[in-house]
Amino acid sequence: MARMKFLCDAERCIECNACVTACKNENDVPWGINRRRVVTINDGKPGERSVSMACMHCTDAPCAAVCPVDCFYTTEDAVVLHSKDLCIGCGYCFYACPFGAPQYPRTGNFGSRGKMDKCTFCSGGPDTDSTEVEYDKYGANRLAEGKLPLCAEMCSTKSLLAGDGEIIAAIYKERVTQRGYGSGAWGWQTAYRETVGV
Amino acid sequence: MQDEKQTALSRRNFLRAFGGASTAAAATVALTPTEALAYDPGTEEMRARYKETEHIKAFYRVNRYPEHK
Repeated sequence: MARMKFLCDAERCIECNACVTACKNENDVPWGINRRRVVTINDGKPGERSVSMACMHCTDAPCAAVCPVDCFYTTEDAVVLHSKDLCIGCGYCFYACPFGAPQYPRTGNFGSRGKMDKCTFCSGGPDTDSTEVEYDKYGANRLAEGKLPLCAEMCSTKSLLAGDGEIIAAIYKERVTQRGYGSGAWGWQTAYRETVGV
Repeated sequence: MQDEKQTALSRRNFLRAFGGASTAAAATVALTPTEALAYDPGTEEMRARYKETEHIKAFYRVNRYPEHK
């Protein structure tokens, strides 16, 4: 069975932030939340690199391990999803996540956080597929439509890869053998306890 | 004087008996184990959505170098 993964090829990312914009538009992400962000290291200096980061859908997800109401679950595609009906907005998952993926709308009074929101690998949530209810809570369900996350599909420099972990690792290996290793598969060791060996 | 003492004692005895019984009942309710209700999403929510459609194959193809396609 295919295991869904993200891979950001930092040698190709030009920090255009189109993935961030595409994600916000496709999933109608509310103000103040970015499910995906572009992080730039050594900005303006030689060796500058940018990495597009979102939920990596970890193998042993720390967010799920710390959730006091157990609202997380992992699908057969290995996508980590959560139920907004159960989430109490405690914020534990935000502290546990090594990638800073969980976000909070902060729409309530007295600084309450509201329901947690994060990347769903464009595969909706626990509600019925491709319904208005699912879209309102979790955003688009592109995986059910036979598509991949829009952030990766529209990346102009083909930096952001998404899909079957074995296939995208093979694509990355081809690039590495052609041009050299570069900065490696960023976040893979943390998220999947492995990296792309060549 | 004797009657007053008797009344006071019986009231105390009554409260002691009643209070003790209600505390014991509360403790029984509190200590009764209830089943933990972790979120069970069910098979429909968990099932795989990914299918290698033509759309997805095209994504993989355009991400490869031309000589590897």
